[in-house]
Amino acid sequence: MTQPSRSGRHPVITWGVVAVLLAVGVAGTLVVPLYARTAPKLGPFPFFYWYQLAWIPIVAILAFAAYLLTSRTSRTSRTSRGAHRGQRRRDE
Amino acid sequence: MSDVNAVSFTILLVLFILVTLIGFAAARWRRADSMQHLDEWGLGGRSFGTFVSWFLLGGDLYTAYTFIAVPALIYGVGAAGFFAVPYTIMVFPIVFVFAPRLWSVCRQHGYVTPADFVRGRYGSRGLALAVAATGILATMPYIALQLVGIESVLTVLGLGSSSNSFLKDLPLLIAFVVLAAYTFLSGLRAPALTAFVKDILIYVTVIVAIVYIPARVGGWTHIFNHAATHLASVNPKTGKPFGALITPPAGEWAYATLALGSALALFMYPHAITGVLATARRNVIRRNMAILPAYSLVLGLIALLAYMALASPAVNAGVKAGGGNAQLAVPLLFEHIFPSWFAGIGYAAIVIGALVPAAIMSIAAANLFTRNIYREFFHRGASPAQETRVAQVVSLVVKAGALVFVLALSKSFAINLQLLGGVWILQTFPSIVAGLYTRWFHRWALLAGWAAAMIWGTIVAYRQPVPGVPGSHFGTSTAVVPVLGHTAYIAVTAFVLNLVVALVLTVVFRALRLRDGADETEPADYSADPVDAPAPVPVRSAS
Repeated sequence: MTQPSRSGRHPVITWGVVAVLLAVGVAGTLVVPLYARTAPKLGPFPFFYWYQLAWIPIVAILAFAAYLLTSRTSRTSRTSRGAHRGQRRRDE
Repeated sequence: MSDVNAVSFTILLVLFILVTLIGFAAARWRRADSMQHLDEWGLGGRSFGTFVSWFLLGGDLYTAYTFIAVPALIYGVGAAGFFAVPYTIMVFPIVFVFAPRLWSVCRQHGYVTPADFVRGRYGSRGLALAVAATGILATMPYIALQLVGIESVLTVLGLGSSSNSFLKDLPLLIAFVVLAAYTFLSGLRAPALTAFVKDILIYVTVIVAIVYIPARVGGWTHIFNHAATHLASVNPKTGKPFGALITPPAGEWAYATLALGSALALFMYPHAITGVLATARRNVIRRNMAILPAYSLVLGLIALLAYMALASPAVNAGVKAGGGNAQLAVPLLFEHIFPSWFAGIGYAAIVIGALVPAAIMSIAAANLFTRNIYREFFHRGASPAQETRVAQVVSLVVKAGALVFVLALSKSFAINLQLLGGVWILQTFPSIVAGLYTRWFHRWALLAGWAAAMIWGTIVAYRQPVPGVPGSHFGTSTAVVPVLGHTAYIAVTAFVLNLVVALVLTVVFRALRLRDGADETEPADYSADPVDAPAPVPVRSAS
C-alpha cells in the first residue's frame, strides 16, 4: 500500500488481489455454518449477531482497498487506451 | 391507539412539510438549461458526485420496507430474518465488479435504463421488452410496500383508525398526492435532495434508539434471553416453535441463498440502476461501495429493534391488538419507549424513508416505460421533450396504481407480489450482467431462460402455503430445491434454471446458426470514463 506505483504496473496482479478481496467480502457471511452458533459471546451478543455486524466495517474496508487498487490500474490502462483511440482523456 | 398524540403528530407534520418544500425547490437545484430531457428529469443530469450519490443510493436502497418488514420478520421468526444483514454486506463486492461497466456503456451510448443497454447490446427488442416489463412489474408492488410502511406509522399514530373509510385513507392519500406533485416537477432531483433529510432522520433515530431503548426494556442480556425463550416456545398456530435465535442447520441453505439472491437482485431493480446511472463519474460508484455499508450498520441495528420490541410487554400487547400485525412492532416501540416528541421524529424517519424510494422507483419505472415501451413500440421518433412529458405522466400513473393496490386490494396481495418481484427481477441478471462481459449468449436463449425461470419461479412461489394454513399461497420465499433436497430461496433456484436454459440453448442456437442481433457497443465502451466530455446530451448549464 505504501508503494502505489509498483502494483499499478501489474494490472493482472492487481486485479487478482481485487478479486480475492471481493471474494472474501462475499464469502465472510455466505458460509453460514461458520457463524451459526451462540458462543463465543461478545458481552450479551451471541456470536451469530456480532460476527455478522462486524463484517459490515470489514466489507467497507475491503471495498475501499479494492477501490484504491482499481482506480490506479484503470487510470494507467485508460490513459494508454485513450491515446490509442486518439481520444483525449484527463486524469485527476 | 385511539387518540392521536398531538406532539408526535405535529413533529411528523412539520418534517413532512419541510420535505415537501425541499422537493419542490429541488427543481431549481443544479438547474439545467432545459428540464425537458430524460437525462435531466429521469437521471438528475447524470451529475451526482460521491457525496450526493451516497445519500441518494442510501435513501434509495434502504426503504421503509427495510425499516418495517425486516424487524417485523425478525419479531416473528428470529434469526431467519437477519439474512438482511449479510444481504446488504454481500451486495457491495458484487456490485463493485459490474456496476462501473454498466455506467460506462450507458454513458457512452446515452442509455437511460437497463433495457436500453440490452436493446443496444443484443439488438433485440423482445429481450429489451422482457427486461423492461420485468422491471416495471417488480417495481410496482415495491412502491405499494412503501405505502404499507407509511400506513403502519399512521395506524400507531391513531390516524387511519376512523370508521369512515375515506377519512381513514385520507392522510395516506394526501402524502402521496404531494409526493407525486414534486416528483412530477423536479424528477430525480427531488428524491436526491430529500434523501438528505431522510437519512439524517434515520441515523439520528437509530443511534438514539440503540442507546436509549435497551436499558428501558431490561438491558441487552435480558433482550437476547427473552427473545431466545420466546422464539423457542411453541406457536399455537403451527404447533412448532416460533423460530430460533440462531439459524439452525436446516435453515442454513435458506439463509445463505436469501442473502446471496437478494444481493444479486438488488442492483437489477430499476431504481437501483437509476441511482447508479445518475452518478457523474465512474469512480463515484466504487467509492460508494466503500461508504454505503454505513447504511447496512443502521439496518443491522434496526433489525435488533425487533428483539427490543419482543422484550417490551406494551409492544407485544399492541401488536396483538392490531391483529397480530408484526409490522407495527417498530412504530409501537417508538410510541411506548420514546417521549412523544422523539417518537414523532422516529415516525417521520419511517414516513420520509418511504417517500424517497417511492419517488425514485416511480421515476425508474417511468423511464423504463418511456424508453422501452412508448418509444420502442408506439412512437419511434419521440423527441426528448416528448419522452420527458410521457415519463412525468407515467410516474403519476405508477404511483396511483400503487395506491390502488394498497387501498383497494388486500395488503397481503401487495406483499405477495413484492415476494414475487424479487424472484422475477433476478431473472434479468443474465441478460444485463453477462452482457456486460460477453456477447456469447444468444439473445433468444437469454429470452427462453428468462421465460422458463419466470414461469417456474411464479408457480413454485404460488405453491408455498403459509405455515399452519394448509391450502394457502405465497406463504414463504423459500422452497425445497429439486434434486438437492435443501430448502433455498426460490429466486436463486429459478436463476440457476435460467442460466442452464440460456447456456444449453445458446449452444443449440449457435449450432443451428440462428441469426443473432447486431451489437452497437464496442469493448472500449465498457471501461470508458469520459471526464470532460459532457453527458450525451448538450442541454446542461455550467453548474
